Amino acid sequence: MMLSEILTSAFFTSLFSGMLRITTPILFGATGLVVTNRSGILNLGVEGAMLMGSFVGFLVAYQSGSLWQGVFMAAVGGGIVGLLMAFMSVTLRVNQTVAGLAINLLFTGVTLYLYRIIFADFSGSILPNVEIFQAVHIPGLSEIPVIGEVVFSQQILTYIGFLFVPLVFYFLYRTKYGLILRCIGENPAAIDMKGVNISAYRYGATIFGGMMAGVGGVFLTVASAGLFMQGITGGRGWIVIAIVIFGDWKPVRIMLLSMFFGLIDSFSLQLQGVGINFPYQFLLTLPYVFTILGITLGGRRAGAPLALGVHYSRE
Amino acid sequence: MTEGPQLKRKWKWRFEKRDRTGPLIQLAALIGGLTGALLISAILIVTAKADIWLAFGSLFRGAFGGWYAFTQTLIQSTPLIFTGLAVLVSFKAKIFNIGAEGQFFAGAMAAFWVSISLAGFPRPVAVLIIVLASLFGGALYGAIPGILKAVLGVNEIIVTVMMNYIIQFILSYMISNHWRDPGDYYLQTAFIPENVRFPMVLPHSRVHLGFLLAVTAAVVIFCFLWKTPSGFEIRALGESRSASRYKGIDTKRIIILVMVISGAIAGLAGGSEIAGVHHRLRLDISTGYGYTGIIIALLGKLHPFGVVAAAVFFGALVNGSTSMQVSAGVPVALVYALQSLVLICVMAAEVLSQYRIRRVYDVE
Repeated sequence: MMLSEILTSAFFTSLFSGMLRITTPILFGATGLVVTNRSGILNLGVEGAMLMGSFVGFLVAYQSGSLWQGVFMAAVGGGIVGLLMAFMSVTLRVNQTVAGLAINLLFTGVTLYLYRIIFADFSGSILPNVEIFQAVHIPGLSEIPVIGEVVFSQQILTYIGFLFVPLVFYFLYRTKYGLILRCIGENPAAIDMKGVNISAYRYGATIFGGMMAGVGGVFLTVASAGLFMQGITGGRGWIVIAIVIFGDWKPVRIMLLSMFFGLIDSFSLQLQGVGINFPYQFLLTLPYVFTILGITLGGRRAGAPLALGVHYSRE
Repeated sequence: MTEGPQLKRKWKWRFEKRDRTGPLIQLAALIGGLTGALLISAILIVTAKADIWLAFGSLFRGAFGGWYAFTQTLIQSTPLIFTGLAVLVSFKAKIFNIGAEGQFFAGAMAAFWVSISLAGFPRPVAVLIIVLASLFGGALYGAIPGILKAVLGVNEIIVTVMMNYIIQFILSYMISNHWRDPGDYYLQTAFIPENVRFPMVLPHSRVHLGFLLAVTAAVVIFCFLWKTPSGFEIRALGESRSASRYKGIDTKRIIILVMVISGAIAGLAGGSEIAGVHHRLRLDISTGYGYTGIIIALLGKLHPFGVVAAAVFFGALVNGSTSMQVSAGVPVALVYALQSLVLICVMAAEVLSQYRIRRVYDVE
């Protein structure tokens, strides 16, 4: 193990720079899921929404040449998944765990199928790809050694992702609508008596969560890998769920946890790059192992919305 | 006589909840859901610029047209019966084991690992050891989330999904570094010895012992869940955890037992695929059997015989899909979307079937 290679500033720079980049999809998904969960909807279909976002976004970006159109349509795609989830949970009142699992599997199959049809002409080694987003270097600030590259030379979607954290925090805790949303998640019967349209809030919260997950997913294709492949989300949707639980449904905590997860993943990537005498497969398991450790050591979470996963109906 | 305000009587349509849904209604819901899924998949087929009738026709012929097709369907159903049963056992206790996929691989790896040293054994003994090894491997992998849930209350959904990913990497490591077929470029092991492979059980076919084991497992699970005290406790836990505890049922023990059994059956699925179909260990021996098992368990209404029926149905779909791709140009991936579609449409149909429309003569 070449310790001297690790303790360079270059290593730390790419470590933390990579951390913020890897955190972005998780952060989008988790910030969106907080809102959904706070309204009382479980939404285990986050993985499906992320996958849908990465596929739709990639497809649109590829065909239109515009990455931003891809991002927009990715949000729409994720929103559609959220809409289906809301329909099954709020209107049909199917068991939310089962609905989430079914939606995951459905969109896993659908995205693969559509990809195969649309890109049927590609064979062999040349995969369809797009030019990914360029990093945005904030003038002046990005010149600062180390911190400049880490914090002020990220992709624009990363900045947007982190911007959503205070936005969601403000919405949930400082606005009337956020308060109503949180009440719906705790005791829908009580707030129903005040004439609040519970279904509308739940639909909105779930669609928003789906849209955020979709944008998180498209980051993987349009701002990271540049192409789409089966399983590109790699279980991140599930890690998002774990982070929201472990983060006790508090946006700031969730942001920090997402960054910690990004650090682990970035660390394992950097180690692989440095060339350690350690089987790379075990480094790849690190994010998943840490998720299990996190959720095990986290203990029982007191912040869960009381009505999470519980159906509400007037009768 | 003074007249009060006139009351209008008229026929009205009312949308109301049924008191009970008889088997006829449930059957109608099932058929309705299947029809809905078929319609949506027809739309998907049209998107592929393929002929709908040709697609469905070749799908059906590929699944049931002739002895070879039929036996291939049975072979394809085998791992699905296993994983469906595995998920059934856990879901019956309201424990959501999403890790059947990982437990499948754990059983396959355990089976392969012992197969290396079984070269000289008589066949019945070798096969028995393989079965036991895959049961044990899956049970072990299922016990981990089970113990975490029982002792620490850890959410089993997250743990099992994470473990699905972890074992894929472990498998990749083992095949690349220790088990690789020497001189082979591909990431796969050498063939397992002849005496370890499952015998064929139907003439003129490749239907192997695994299928018989799967059907037997369905019967065993039925008897276990409905005719034994432990089975009762498992079902009781699923009905109401607090009531079970009140009755004195040791919930911790049941949780671990459920995960061990569930993991074991999924592990046997893996061993069966190794010993009966591929005869070697590779990275791609599962096409998402663990996840499909969830759909099958739910479609089978968490009953072993329902699971067998649903598994054969899905096995037919998978088997027929290759003919569909060849004859109609529809990618095989449609079938995986179709499987989830069937579940969602049937679930939606079931919810809708709880309501009925009645015409009543009512006052305004």
